[in-house]
Amino acid sequence: MVAAPILDISDLWVSFPAYRAEPVRALKGVDLAIPPGEFIGLVGESGSGKTTLARAAMGLVPPPGIIERGQVLFNGRNMGQIEDEARRAVLGRELAMVIANPRAELNPVVPVGRQISNIVFYHLSVSRAEADRRALEMLRAVRIPDAERRFAAYPHELSGGMAQRVVIAIALACTPKLVISDDATSGLDVTVQTQVLDLLKTMVAEKGASALFITRDIAITAHYCSRIAVIFAGEIVELAPVATFFERPAHPYSITLLAAFSHSPELRLRWTRPPEVDAAPIPAGGCAFAARCVRRRERCLAEAPLLRPLAGGRSVRCHFPVDESVT
Amino acid sequence: MMPLVRYIARRIVFVVPQLFGIVLVSFFLVKLIPGDPAVMMLGPTASAQSLAELRDKMGFTKPLLEQLTHYLADVARGDLGTSWQTTRPVTEDLFQRFPATLELVTFGLLLAIAIGFPLGVAAARLKRGVTRKVADYYGLLAGALPDFWLALVLIYVFYTVLGWIPAPLGRIDMAILPPPTISGSLVIDSLLAGDWEALRSSLGHLALPVLTLGLINAGPILKMTQSMTERTLSSDFVRYAEMCGLPRRVVLRQAVRAALPSVVTIISVLYGFLIGGAVLVEIVFSWGGAGQYAVQGVLNADLNPVLGFVVFSAVLSLVTYLIVDLIYFALDPRLRA
Repeated sequence: MVAAPILDISDLWVSFPAYRAEPVRALKGVDLAIPPGEFIGLVGESGSGKTTLARAAMGLVPPPGIIERGQVLFNGRNMGQIEDEARRAVLGRELAMVIANPRAELNPVVPVGRQISNIVFYHLSVSRAEADRRALEMLRAVRIPDAERRFAAYPHELSGGMAQRVVIAIALACTPKLVISDDATSGLDVTVQTQVLDLLKTMVAEKGASALFITRDIAITAHYCSRIAVIFAGEIVELAPVATFFERPAHPYSITLLAAFSHSPELRLRWTRPPEVDAAPIPAGGCAFAARCVRRRERCLAEAPLLRPLAGGRSVRCHFPVDESVT
Repeated sequence: MMPLVRYIARRIVFVVPQLFGIVLVSFFLVKLIPGDPAVMMLGPTASAQSLAELRDKMGFTKPLLEQLTHYLADVARGDLGTSWQTTRPVTEDLFQRFPATLELVTFGLLLAIAIGFPLGVAAARLKRGVTRKVADYYGLLAGALPDFWLALVLIYVFYTVLGWIPAPLGRIDMAILPPPTISGSLVIDSLLAGDWEALRSSLGHLALPVLTLGLINAGPILKMTQSMTERTLSSDFVRYAEMCGLPRRVVLRQAVRAALPSVVTIISVLYGFLIGGAVLVEIVFSWGGAGQYAVQGVLNADLNPVLGFVVFSAVLSLVTYLIVDLIYFALDPRLRA
C-alpha cells in the first residue's frame, strides 16, 4: 500500500449530545483507511455506528451530532470542517453514495432520467442535452431494459431493483473516486440483490474507484470485498483480509456474526452468552463487548482492549483473540 | 392525457349529488331560523288576516317537503326565487354582487400569497435569525387580529390621517361611471375599457380591503408554507439530494416544490371560506358584496337570498376544489397512475 488512501479516517469520535445526560458516543476512535481501488466491507449490527461513519465521511454528521475528535480526510480534504460549497462539489462528484431505500429517497416528482441528468448537469457543467445523453447512457449501463422509456418514468413506477439500479447510475454518473454503499440492497430479493451487487462491483471496478460496502449481511462482504472491518458499539473490533477473516475470525463478536448466518445451531449456541438473571453490571472502562462475550475473563472487565495487529495482516480489539478455526 | 379526462369526468359526476345534498341541508337549516318574513314585510301593525294571506301566498303554510320540492324544481330551472327586500330575482342580485366579492377575495388572497409564501420559505430555510423571528411574530399577529379591526385601523391611517385613498364607500367613486361589465371586476373591466379614471378610482377603493384581507390571510399561508417546507427539507429525498451534492438552491427548490400541494390546499380552503367570511370587511368598506347580501337576508328573514347565496358559494367551492384537484394532478405524478 504505497498510494495515499482515498479515504483516511483517524481516531474519529462522533457524539450526540443528550438532554441532561452523557452524550451518546456513536463512534469511539475509529481508524479506517481505504486505498485507491480497494473494496472494504464494514459490518455490524443496527446501532453500531455504520451509518454515522458513512455520514461523517461525507461531512454530513446528522445534527445534533458533532465530531468530537479525530478527522476524516477524503482525497486530502478534511470533511469534518469542509465549507458547504466545497462539500457540495465533492459529494456526488468524487464521493458518491448508494442508498438503501431508493423509492423513498429518490425525488418522487422528478422523472428518474432527469435525476441522473441533474447530477451530471450540476457537477460537470455540461449542457442539459449532454447531461441527458449521459444519463441515458448510464441507464443503459446499469442494464435497465427499455432505457429510453424508463428515462421519463417516476420512481414510484419502478420496481425496487430497478430503482436501485437508478441510484447506482446516479452514484456513478460522475465517475467518483469512492462509492459508499449503505446497506444498499437490504430491501431486495436475494436474486435481485446478487444482480445489483454484481453490477455495482463491476461498474465501480471499471471506473477504478474504491468502495465501502456497509452492510448487516456479512455474506455480502465475502463476495464483494477484499478486506472486512467489523464494527461494534462505535469501535472497529476486527479488520482483516476477507479470506483470513472467514477462515479464522479472531474476535468473538465476529464469530457471533458469522454464526448468525450459519446453519449450525450448535455454533450459534456455543458463541452466544446466555442471558444472566443476576448479572453484575459491567463496569465502564472494560471491553464494550464483555456483556455478550462467552470468553469473558477478569481482564476484560477491568481494561478496554486496543486494536492491535495479529499475524496475517489483521488487527483485532480483544485481549484474548480466538486462535482456532471455528467452523 | 386519458387519466386526466377520466379524473375530471369522475369529479363532475359527483358535483350534482354534492349540490343536491348542500341545497337539502341548507334548506332545512334556513327554515330553522326563527323569524317570520310576513311580519317583516307587512310591519308590526298588520292584521292577523293579512299576515295569514301573505304567508299562504308565499307558500309558507304548505308542508315543508312540498316547499322543498318546489324550491328544488325552481333551482333546477335556475330560478332562486325573489328577494322581498330588493324585490328583484335573487339570481340577478347575486350575479351583480358575487363579482364584487370575488374581486375582493381574489386580489386579497393574491396579496396574501405574495406576502406569506416567500416569508414562509425564508423562515423554513433559516432556522435562526431575523427572518424567522419576523415570520413567527407575523403568524401570531395575523392569527390574533380581527380583520374588521385591522380594516378600521387602515382606514384611520390611510384615509383619515394621510388622505391617500378615497372614502371607503363602495367600489368606485359615485361620480364616476363604472366601465361596461365584462368580467364583473371593476379593475379588470376598467383596464379592458381603457378607462383610466375608472381604473384609478376602483384601484383606490380596492386597496384597503385587499390590504386588510391580504395581511390577515398571509398568516395561515405563511405558517403552512413554513411548516411544510421544514418538513420536506428534512425528508429522505432532500437528504439524498444533499448527499448527491446538488447546489443549495436546487435542493431548496425541490423541497419547496414538494411542499406546494399543502400550500395550494390552504389557499383553496381560505378562498372558499372568504367568499362568505369576508363579510365584516365588506360591511366596513360598504363593498356591496355577496356576503353582505346574505347577512341582510338572514337579519330580515329574507330566505331566498340566503339560500341563493349558499347555492352560489357551493358551486364556487366545488369549482375551486376541482381546480385544486387539477393542480394536484399537475404537481404530483403519483396521482396520474
